[in-house]
Amino acid sequence: MDLRVIVVGGGRVGFHATELLEAQGHRVVVVERDPARCEEIADAYVASVIEGDGTRPDVLRQADPERADAVVALTPDAGTNLGVCVLASRFNPEVWTVMRVATPAGAEGYAEVVDETIFPERAGARLAVNAVTEGAMRAVESLPGELEILEMRVTEASPMADRTLSEVSLPHGSLVVSAADGHRIASADTTLEPGRAYLVAAEPDVTDEVRQLFQG
Amino acid sequence: MSHDQRQPAAELGLLDATMIGMGAMIGAGIFVLTGLAAEIAGPAAILVFALNGVVTAFTGLSYAELAASIPKSGGGYAFVREVFDDLASFVMGWMLWFAYMIAGTLYALGFAPNFLELLHVYGYVPPPDQVAAISLAAGVSVPPAVALAAVAVCLLVSVNAVSTAASGSLETVFTVVKVSILVVFVAFGLTSPMFVPGAEFQPLFGDGGPFAILPAMGLTFIAFEGYDLITTVTEEVENPRQNIPRAIFISLAATVVVYLAVVTVAIGTLGAGGLAEAGEAGIAAAATAFMPEFPVVGEGGAVIVFGAVFSTLTALNAVVIASSRVAFSMGREGQLLPRVGRIHHRFGTPFVAILASSVVMLVAVVLPTKSAGNMSSLFFLLSFVVVNGAVIRLRRERPDMTRPYEMPLYPLPPVIGILLNLVLTGVLVEYLVRTDPLALALSAGWIALGLVAYVFVVRGVSAPESGEAVPGAGDD
Repeated sequence: MDLRVIVVGGGRVGFHATELLEAQGHRVVVVERDPARCEEIADAYVASVIEGDGTRPDVLRQADPERADAVVALTPDAGTNLGVCVLASRFNPEVWTVMRVATPAGAEGYAEVVDETIFPERAGARLAVNAVTEGAMRAVESLPGELEILEMRVTEASPMADRTLSEVSLPHGSLVVSAADGHRIASADTTLEPGRAYLVAAEPDVTDEVRQLFQG
Repeated sequence: MSHDQRQPAAELGLLDATMIGMGAMIGAGIFVLTGLAAEIAGPAAILVFALNGVVTAFTGLSYAELAASIPKSGGGYAFVREVFDDLASFVMGWMLWFAYMIAGTLYALGFAPNFLELLHVYGYVPPPDQVAAISLAAGVSVPPAVALAAVAVCLLVSVNAVSTAASGSLETVFTVVKVSILVVFVAFGLTSPMFVPGAEFQPLFGDGGPFAILPAMGLTFIAFEGYDLITTVTEEVENPRQNIPRAIFISLAATVVVYLAVVTVAIGTLGAGGLAEAGEAGIAAAATAFMPEFPVVGEGGAVIVFGAVFSTLTALNAVVIASSRVAFSMGREGQLLPRVGRIHHRFGTPFVAILASSVVMLVAVVLPTKSAGNMSSLFFLLSFVVVNGAVIRLRRERPDMTRPYEMPLYPLPPVIGILLNLVLTGVLVEYLVRTDPLALALSAGWIALGLVAYVFVVRGVSAPESGEAVPGAGDD
């Protein structure tokens, strides 16, 4: 199903979200306040652009919220984003609202007015951590809940090196998903070879323990 | 499972985009319709083509503004879908779909006599009017031209159904071939002793008087259909906000120049009467009359006849793609059955949309060429009215939208465009009432069928939508 999405805030986060949505075949309208930025987005030819303040009804209406499937408010200012989501819901009670928050603390407090809150800085932070710990451990995907999918490399020093999964015991709340280099689902006979990477699903409170098992 | 990857679409430059527009316009219209225009309007056929270029330029401005600000490949239907409600956008898509399909029929019907002429030039078959009807097994006999037209449709539909469209650069080659052949035609025509413009253009207006050019304009309006195809590939064009408006204007201007030169030569050599007599093969007949002998190809007229065969086939190919894209977009928007909006799991083509479009094309080859031209022009005129309306509505409802290309002198161009298109529509309808009630009845029937489909599909879809999701809907 092709979605109609309104992205409010055409800054870096908003623009890249627009590019990704467009690349997946969805239809995006960007609402952006800065005229120069509007021209840049129009040049990229990924969305039609409405120039103006997305918290103003006469501006947001031009993005056609009645027909939109989702409104994503991605300005750096949480107050603005909340205003956009509330306004969009008034135009169209069915619309799915996504709000960027300024800090993860207390984000669940918005749950009664918006459908989803996101904190994009966390994704950026995770990439930074991946870059630092590259080769040893990398977060692959953020999942809706707490669970994380990690790509972990077995080191020579790992207590599990050269053992099969049936011989080792990983903590509860963790699961080795793929065999070496991600071509097969892991089985009891999968050997944990040093230098190879494995996909591991883990709950946050055992991530540390899993990392120690893989890396010694 | 094998994992053949299909080539991604190539980046198209300004030249490629211009060539797509010119390639779709210069094709069948000029070869097939010049004779018919001369029949109605006499030597004033030249004015017919010039004025149609002017009329369609207003809609060209609207297409340019919409394509630059709505980044969505899909042409007129996609733009109107953005701006209008369900019913209006459905009617637009339904009309445009039909216009392309029936244009396909027109091109197939234009292809057949020219192809027979080509075979005749080389002595493979007797002159086109003496070829015997082909007898089918059931004892029904079919005129060979109709059978050939049907074969051409089947061939191009099959090609497009199992492989993704030819790339833009191939289109450029096609267009260069077509234009070169017409340049040869014009060059030899102008220098031929048969070319006597002074005599053949007197009197300018035929028996019908000056007003006969209006129905002739209506009939030949289809000759300028095609620049809108540029807007169906916008996402593949580099620097689209500049190049798409430019490609639209350049292709229109170049096409007008080519048409005027060709029609001048055709009338100047053969005369309006002779041109009218030759009908769908008018240009080919003119060429056969004055082209010299060439080495290798033999008779020079064969080059032009080949041009007509080649042009009608490439134009047919373009509208097979265009019609299926409209149907596919409508399917994706839930305005036709959802399966029309799906890509085939093996071929990667909008398979069902192409097959659905081919049905109308095939059935309609039994119609006279003129009726196909009339119906196609009628529906293009109507859909162009809606496109102009979309610009006005978008300006009113979304004043703050960023418009990388803004047409000059707004609101004059779309208002004039709507008025002129409506005048031509009115004249054409009046003409059809007198001369071709069948075409008019079929057109009305198509609209009526559309309204029924709308009630069942669009209205009906909202009710059993939960049921629709069940049978293997997947997430395509």
